[in-house]
Amino acid sequence: MQWSNVKLIFSREMRDQMRDRRTLFTVAVLPLILYPLMGMAMLQVSQFMREHPTDIWIVGAENLPDSPALIVDGEINESFATPKDRKLLHLVASEEDDREFKSLIQKFKQNPEAHGSHLIDRLLEEQMLRRNVDLAVVIPAVIDSPRPIDADQDASRPPKIYVFHNSAKDKSTIAATRFSNVIQAWQQSFVDNVLHQNNVPQMLIRGVEVTNSDVADKAGVSAALWSKTLPFIVMIWSLTGAFYPAIDLCAGEKERGTFETLLSSPAKRSEIAIGKLMTVISFSMATALLNLLSMAFTGLFVYSRLTGNMGGLAIGPPPVSALLWLVIALVPISGLFSAVALAAAAFARSSKEGQYYLVPLMMISMPLMMIPMLPAARLDLGTSLIPVSGLMLLLRGLIEGQYEQSLQFFAPVCGVTILCGWISVRWVIHQFNSETVLFRASERFGVGDWVKQIARQRSELPSVGSALLCCILILVLSFFVNFSMGGVPNSFLSFCKTSIVQLLATVLVPTLFMALILSKSPLRSLRLNFCSVPTACAAVLMAICFHPLFMAFRELVMIVYPMTGDMSGFESAFENIMSGAPNILAILLVMAIIPALFEELAFRGFILTGLESLKNKWQAIAIASLFFGLSHSIIQQSVITGVVGMILGIIAVQTRSILPCILYHATHNSLTVLLSMTESGYVEGSPVLSRILHAPDKVGYEYTAVATMVFGILACALLFWFLKLPSARGDQNFKSNEESLDADALDHQTLKA
Amino acid sequence: MPSVIHGKIHSHPSTSVLTVGFVINRIQCNTIPMIHVRNLRKSYQDLQTDTFTALDGISFDAMPGQVYGLLGPNGAGKTTALRILSTVLRPSSGTAIINGFDVNVEPEKIRHQIGFVSTNTAIYDRMTAWELVQYFGRLYGMDAEDLQIRMEHLFERFQMNDIRNVLGSKMSTGMKQKVSIARAIIHDPPVLIFDEATSGLDILVAREVLRTVEQLADQGKCVIFSSHIMTEVKRLCHRIAIMSHGRILAEGSIDDIIQQNQEPDIEELFYQIISKHDREKQRKVLS
Repeated sequence: MQWSNVKLIFSREMRDQMRDRRTLFTVAVLPLILYPLMGMAMLQVSQFMREHPTDIWIVGAENLPDSPALIVDGEINESFATPKDRKLLHLVASEEDDREFKSLIQKFKQNPEAHGSHLIDRLLEEQMLRRNVDLAVVIPAVIDSPRPIDADQDASRPPKIYVFHNSAKDKSTIAATRFSNVIQAWQQSFVDNVLHQNNVPQMLIRGVEVTNSDVADKAGVSAALWSKTLPFIVMIWSLTGAFYPAIDLCAGEKERGTFETLLSSPAKRSEIAIGKLMTVISFSMATALLNLLSMAFTGLFVYSRLTGNMGGLAIGPPPVSALLWLVIALVPISGLFSAVALAAAAFARSSKEGQYYLVPLMMISMPLMMIPMLPAARLDLGTSLIPVSGLMLLLRGLIEGQYEQSLQFFAPVCGVTILCGWISVRWVIHQFNSETVLFRASERFGVGDWVKQIARQRSELPSVGSALLCCILILVLSFFVNFSMGGVPNSFLSFCKTSIVQLLATVLVPTLFMALILSKSPLRSLRLNFCSVPTACAAVLMAICFHPLFMAFRELVMIVYPMTGDMSGFESAFENIMSGAPNILAILLVMAIIPALFEELAFRGFILTGLESLKNKWQAIAIASLFFGLSHSIIQQSVITGVVGMILGIIAVQTRSILPCILYHATHNSLTVLLSMTESGYVEGSPVLSRILHAPDKVGYEYTAVATMVFGILACALLFWFLKLPSARGDQNFKSNEESLDADALDHQTLKA
Repeated sequence: MPSVIHGKIHSHPSTSVLTVGFVINRIQCNTIPMIHVRNLRKSYQDLQTDTFTALDGISFDAMPGQVYGLLGPNGAGKTTALRILSTVLRPSSGTAIINGFDVNVEPEKIRHQIGFVSTNTAIYDRMTAWELVQYFGRLYGMDAEDLQIRMEHLFERFQMNDIRNVLGSKMSTGMKQKVSIARAIIHDPPVLIFDEATSGLDILVAREVLRTVEQLADQGKCVIFSSHIMTEVKRLCHRIAIMSHGRILAEGSIDDIIQQNQEPDIEELFYQIISKHDREKQRKVLS
């Protein structure tokens, strides 16, 4: 790659975009004018947001005691409400000649327990609507002022006050909250007076007095608020800022016909891709920064005005360190979003089509940006490995000043971000090298045509399209079958039925159906070839040797993504089901042999054979493993099976047979089942097993560190042996490439002659 | 004016106008074809018809100083063939060797050997004529001094000094085509590809384009000229290939093909060959 060409393309694209009014408007002008305009609108709207007084209809106010007095001169007693609440709680007293009032009081006097009944509720709703009040407070019987309680007085039934609100109206709910604070304070005072009058110490009732204090300083509160909002703003604008330049630089150029001009120049596709990517990154960063600055400036101005009007709302400016962290994080964020946007835009034929592709990108990115804004979200190893979310959580921690906790996850966040960025850049370069992407003819897509094309292209072995179709079919069927099969089975027999039916319906039937329909040689498609005895033995031995390593990996996955409470409950239910099994062979048949057979036919049989048409065995193995992992619905299981799938893929490609894969898979599953079911004391009796297994917490057996290491070395040696076996399709491809190169060389020689 | 070829000074009378201070990398000899195409095939995946074959094994040779015409109706495969020669597309099979470089092996080197003007190679709307030509000159690796001299010369030659600072979006179609040609020959390539370069142009600009093509051929350049305007082909081309449905139906000098097919002129020749091929194709489909 010539960096002088990249620089040249970058500077041309930058100049070109700077001359584009639409881009300039979106990147520079819009942020500068949008936020002040929004600020003005907010100031205008703020007058409607001011707190309005709520009307409270007091029914039977004369029944209230004189001391402590709840109402003084037609207003709430200042001892029980803040001056603000006193202003906002507007009391509407009933008048003596109010007929409804009297009948209502009468009803309550006759049957106070009728509160909540349908009749009283309807009547009060009508009255509240007619009188235009938000809350009704009914004091049906006289409440005496606190006094010493006589020995013959019934103190077990305290007088009652009924508060009615209408939860269908926001204003009524606000009134209920406001009045609740007041009535609680009054009730407290009433109780204190009763205790005082009867010489009962307050401690007897209250026990302990709890005082809440907020120790956070103003800067801390401000940082906590900014740490949630600023990363989101930066992310959303860096994504938006990448959109328009990406569309213009790819789809726009195709539309205007300048793309072909550039492609016929000596600049390599990768140089063009990187030059354009750098331009998109620059605009993405500029958009995010300008929006951030404009929003911060306008926001602070508006908040200061609102603080003056509303009181109590005090948000300080974001800390300087926050802005510094945001600017640093902006580089990988913009890089990632720009690369993905550019790759998607490269696929589009026109600007309009580009927008269709980029909207789903926004829809996928939004949840990743929203997760860190949730109060429960925190940075740990699991979340740090989620692209975008991990980076946002790290940023949140850094802005809040939690350097020690945040920086321990710096490496995984950086690793994942760099990996995603690298994959995205590779994708961009791939898109720019792909003729089908750059010169895609406008073709009407129909599912029927696509299926027909797959059927038409039916060759000896399945194509990549057939393999992917099979993967999608398995995933969709799994989703529906898992839901329709209902909850956890209650006996071993029902568990057997459920799991076998699930595997049959979601894995085996679609695979066999597609192998028969979409390939001329179903046996070869399913890789149903014999293998030599040493190969089969090596597969079983490798499964045994890799098992300790996978158990250690399983522990690691459980630390990164711990089981939730529901899953732990499922595990205990599962143990109960297994205890009902007739013998260990039945469990191994259901848990190990049948899944191994069905899943291997699907994933290492039909799917991997189809994916091998990619002519890159590692790509084929990786994609098949990815789908194998995804077909297991629990994330912990998906990660582990995904890695096991890689080993199985290597065996399948290298041995050209599904049999060693089935043996490996069945052995792996059997060992896992046997390990989980080994009873305590069994291992200690065996001199060999006691060196391999131990029970550190007396709950279950684990492999010893020495055994894990020794078996791991053996497993790697066996894997190396498998890798040295010549693979089937790869050899054919290699041979055909060699033949074509020879033909080229011959042609050159003829020409020279 | 002499030009430097592989470190030696050669007298090259044809480069007197356009190769000011420029380097030609390969020896041009009239016995070796500048463009050598053998069994070139290109097919695309197509949902409706499974595979669409745009080029079905074409072969031809074009010599230096020759204008080679590619004739054919719309969809004959001319643009696909020229896109492969300009390395914008990769062939599905077959070879194309341009000035000794194979399109399959050294596409980057080939791009230095060719200048490509097509109806699809537009110019940038937000760049001035001067900026655009300079940009491509720099992409071709020309040093600043040579580029300046060459640009001054080309702008003078094509009378583009008035539009030096005019943005692409403000130019007329004729002006755009002039800038396109200047862009394509800025690095003085030995091979030039004109893909329907005169379509949509008025007669004055079209004639200027044709005159330029003639001059370039006179200077020893190998020019591939695709068109479906027969008068242009008759005036310019030394050899022609008539294409239809991705195949070459007739190839040779215009006079030879007319004589062989006993047709009165090139237009009638073209019509008869294409019609005959279409009829045969239809008969095959029906049978």
